[in-house]
Amino acid sequence: MKNKIRKFCILLSIFIICQFTSGCYDSREIDELAYPIAIGFDKGEGKFLRMSLQIAVPTKVAGGGEGGGGGEGGQSSVSITTLETPTIYSGLNMINTYVSKQINLSHVKAIVFSEELAREGIEKYINALMRGREFRGTAYVLVAKGSGNTAEKFIREVKPELESNPAKYYEMVLNAYGYTGFTAEAKLISFYRNMTSYTTQPVAVLANVSEFEDSDDITLEYSTYKQKGRDYPLPGDYTAGNMPKVGNIKTEVMGMAVFDGARMVGELDGEETSYYLMVEGKYGYSYVTIPDPQAKDMFVLLNLKQSRKPKKRVEMVGDKPQIYIDIKLEADILSIQSGINYESIEKIGILEKATEEFVKTGIERMVKRTVEEFGSDTFGIGESIKKKFLTWDQWVAFNWKEKYRHSNINVNVDVKIRRPGQKIKTVPAHGSEKEEK
Amino acid sequence: MEKKIIFGNREAISLLLIFMCNQLFLSFPRNMAESAGNAGWILTIYITVISLVLFLIISRLYKNFEGKDILDVAEFLGGNIGRILVGIIYVIDYVVIISVILREYGEDLKIISLVQSPISFVLALFAIGMVFGAFFGLEPLVRLGAISVPVIFLGFLITVVGSIKYFNFSNILPIFGTGLVEILIEGPSRTSVFSGLTSLFLIAPFLRSHDNFKKSGFIGLILSGLILTVGNLVYSLVLPYPSTTSNFLPIYQLSRLIEYGRFFQRIESIFVLVWSMTALIYLSAGLFFSAYIYKKTFKLEYHRPLIIPFGIIIFTLSLIPKSLMETMFIDNSIIRKYAWTVTFGLTLVLLILASIKIKVKEGRHKDEK
Repeated sequence: MKNKIRKFCILLSIFIICQFTSGCYDSREIDELAYPIAIGFDKGEGKFLRMSLQIAVPTKVAGGGEGGGGGEGGQSSVSITTLETPTIYSGLNMINTYVSKQINLSHVKAIVFSEELAREGIEKYINALMRGREFRGTAYVLVAKGSGNTAEKFIREVKPELESNPAKYYEMVLNAYGYTGFTAEAKLISFYRNMTSYTTQPVAVLANVSEFEDSDDITLEYSTYKQKGRDYPLPGDYTAGNMPKVGNIKTEVMGMAVFDGARMVGELDGEETSYYLMVEGKYGYSYVTIPDPQAKDMFVLLNLKQSRKPKKRVEMVGDKPQIYIDIKLEADILSIQSGINYESIEKIGILEKATEEFVKTGIERMVKRTVEEFGSDTFGIGESIKKKFLTWDQWVAFNWKEKYRHSNINVNVDVKIRRPGQKIKTVPAHGSEKEEK
Repeated sequence: MEKKIIFGNREAISLLLIFMCNQLFLSFPRNMAESAGNAGWILTIYITVISLVLFLIISRLYKNFEGKDILDVAEFLGGNIGRILVGIIYVIDYVVIISVILREYGEDLKIISLVQSPISFVLALFAIGMVFGAFFGLEPLVRLGAISVPVIFLGFLITVVGSIKYFNFSNILPIFGTGLVEILIEGPSRTSVFSGLTSLFLIAPFLRSHDNFKKSGFIGLILSGLILTVGNLVYSLVLPYPSTTSNFLPIYQLSRLIEYGRFFQRIESIFVLVWSMTALIYLSAGLFFSAYIYKKTFKLEYHRPLIIPFGIIIFTLSLIPKSLMETMFIDNSIIRKYAWTVTFGLTLVLLILASIKIKVKEGRHKDEK
């Protein structure tokens, strides 16, 4: 009898505990939640914020909805809403009044700030995002270029064609820097970490909607090639929005926004972003176009990759930092337009030297911009001089950020061309010279 | 606690690990960053070394009291008054620490997942689990600890390995953080981190021999020091100072960052499991010891009837702090600064005086002969 009562009590306890531990106050059914995948912030009226949410429509995502954009006809896999709000969380509260499901931010992949807001400073927003339990540090931070409500404009134009799942679209596009080198790894956690750091400054991915509606509109006037003293643009000489392209996909991510603390102070184009990745040691591989060292107006195309982590060193000469950056790259030949036999043992050195010089000039120019124009150590070069200090107070008193503005840069690039692709040499086409011309 | 209970070194070490390392899943890495900046891991090594030295002294003195717990030593020294005095200090020590940690675990769960639930509801769930655990007694708890520790360690290891891609070794520079002097000054009071060592002084009679006592304590301290140092180091390598001082749950924050491809991410669910297991065993053992010390202090026959009253007292005390900030202040600025006075201070004083008493007694015996 005693045993039976005991068993009954245990079963009753288990039953009662199950009732209490199965969610209770916090129980939320998954179909009662709405998951935004991108969130945009623009300057609102007065002191307000204009917040845009791109919310995934699960039924369309699962069924492979047509296009990802906030488009027409109820076929879209996302729904977009924009509102004016004093703060992020009060905005979410307002959205919850007219969206049938409760907003849950745990799947946000992209956080887009308008350039205007970024140039004013986004510290308060980043801190709010980091404090919230739903935001994840692995979400990407983007800056939508231009004036006005660029973040909203960008989010509304995100209409992926190859992906029915918009979250996957953001993941794939923003991780593509590993094989393009034209954007940076700018996650919320690294932004926050660098925002509060005494050495490294944060960066964000530059985003924009294409300037060109029709192929006849395409112009090279927005390209940065002239500023670099070139006669023609190379693939990386653009920032988001001015790539010479048209098509159904209107949005672009290219280049990066440079911050000083939490305030945007400038931008780097695609090529400069590649160099930034090389100095950071995060450059994966990408196709790089090099002017042919022996044939004018011809190009050599290389698949460039970073073989080793870069070495960064700082030496103080008086009060001036001397920055030494040592970068090792490997390359495979993809194309030699001139047909010159650079694959040969005799000539490979010429191409290697030309590539080294090309990359070195680019890195020096880019680092110089961060020193003189932005005054922002985006690469964390200061980290290599921190070891010379014993205590934190000594390091803070050294005032690296100020010293960085007076740095001299010395870059050494070492390129080794390893493979010539599937051809060991170029055999010229056999035709009349007239035809060739 | 019946005298027939005997357990091995593994169980004792597991219990010590849970008692001393549970803080790693709470705010310990942040507290170390507050104290020593980016040299929190050095401070952890330093306090481990101090604690080891103190433990070796304690262990040497304990040799004369094989098979006796700290209350027996107090009784030997001061009779009933000595036992009651030390017993009351130990009970207060346990009840205060357990109630604060209970509140912290409850608040953590509320912030992580049970956002809408009232804190009293969350704490009540913990308290019920704690009471059930304590009812089963010491032996099932230490055996459960021995089984759970490898699982908990695996969860911790996943967090450490998963964070490797975020490591930045320059984060731990300048090497001495806020300064060597601060570390040296702060160190002794921070040995309070190892306040869980008191549990070893209570389970001494169940460890067969003094050698086991010494071995368990020594290995337990070294492993705890190692785990706490690694936890601190990993946290410092991922986040630079001073942002290391801003996270409420440092190791949880690390687990949220882990992401390898589209499949291996959102690892914090493992963290919550590991964290709940630690909480259950720690709180249950803490409640058990509170009731056990009280029983032994006042020479009561059974400890079980005391478990529910002590559970209610701990639950009620845990509700006293007005906020999480106040709870963390009590933990970081009071308990983790002064708990060493009981763990090392009181124990050393007792053992030294008791050893002197033995010597005096031996002297008298010789004189009488």
